[in-house]
Amino acid sequence: MSTFRRSQNRANPNKLNNILSTLIFILILNVSIQIWLLYASLNNALDNNTEILLPAFIASAVLFLIGFSWLYYLPQGNFKNK
Amino acid sequence: MSKEDNLNQNWKKDFPIKKQESTQVSRRDFAKFLTFVSGGLMVGSGFVAAKAYLLPKEGVQGEHFICNKDEVPVGGTRGFVIEGSTVPYILIHLENGDFKAYEQKCTHLSCSVFYKPGTGIIHCPCHDGSFDAATGDVISGPPPRALPKLEVFFKDKGVFVKEFVEQKQS
Repeated sequence: MSTFRRSQNRANPNKLNNILSTLIFILILNVSIQIWLLYASLNNALDNNTEILLPAFIASAVLFLIGFSWLYYLPQGNFKNK
Repeated sequence: MSKEDNLNQNWKKDFPIKKQESTQVSRRDFAKFLTFVSGGLMVGSGFVAAKAYLLPKEGVQGEHFICNKDEVPVGGTRGFVIEGSTVPYILIHLENGDFKAYEQKCTHLSCSVFYKPGTGIIHCPCHDGSFDAATGDVISGPPPRALPKLEVFFKDKGVFVKEFVEQKQS
């Protein structure tokens, strides 16, 4: 059965390069948003505004799940293509 | 076998990782590490939310006597600590006659703030933060939040404080 993985492994290194760079770029973006969310929730928690904390946590969790499932698309690299 | 030979031959067996492998981080590993950090931030956010909901901060309980009115001159301040806690507060006698009580810890990095007589400004010397002495709000500088305050009221000549309850305007 042909999966996307097989064709990904056969892809041109340039293409894998692009995939990997995009992936890392989006992960960095996610992490930056999460840092901002954590900073905002800390400030609001210290200021006794509790209503924002749960949405911030949910947003953070969604971003983590996106990043985690994103790892599925990590190329394995041509060198493992035997 | 000399010590040096022993080191050269057996050390590599015990620690079979090449120097290049240990210093080089592949992009795959970097992506995984970023996801790990992301997970950590998520756990942090969850911890902040859980702590705020499960262990809410307790305000000041009851009413506390601080001093007599005439003990604090106009423009003067008096530091106090409420029994059973270690949080330092200052009582300020403003130039317009009002008494205000604020936490003495700057909301930026917890330095001690002080009142600048005659200016209506509570100042934090560490990073030049300024708060409005009438409301506790931030005027300038790095502090992210207003100073927490206590409500001041009087009984005869005595100055008392109790927890400040915010009246939310909707």
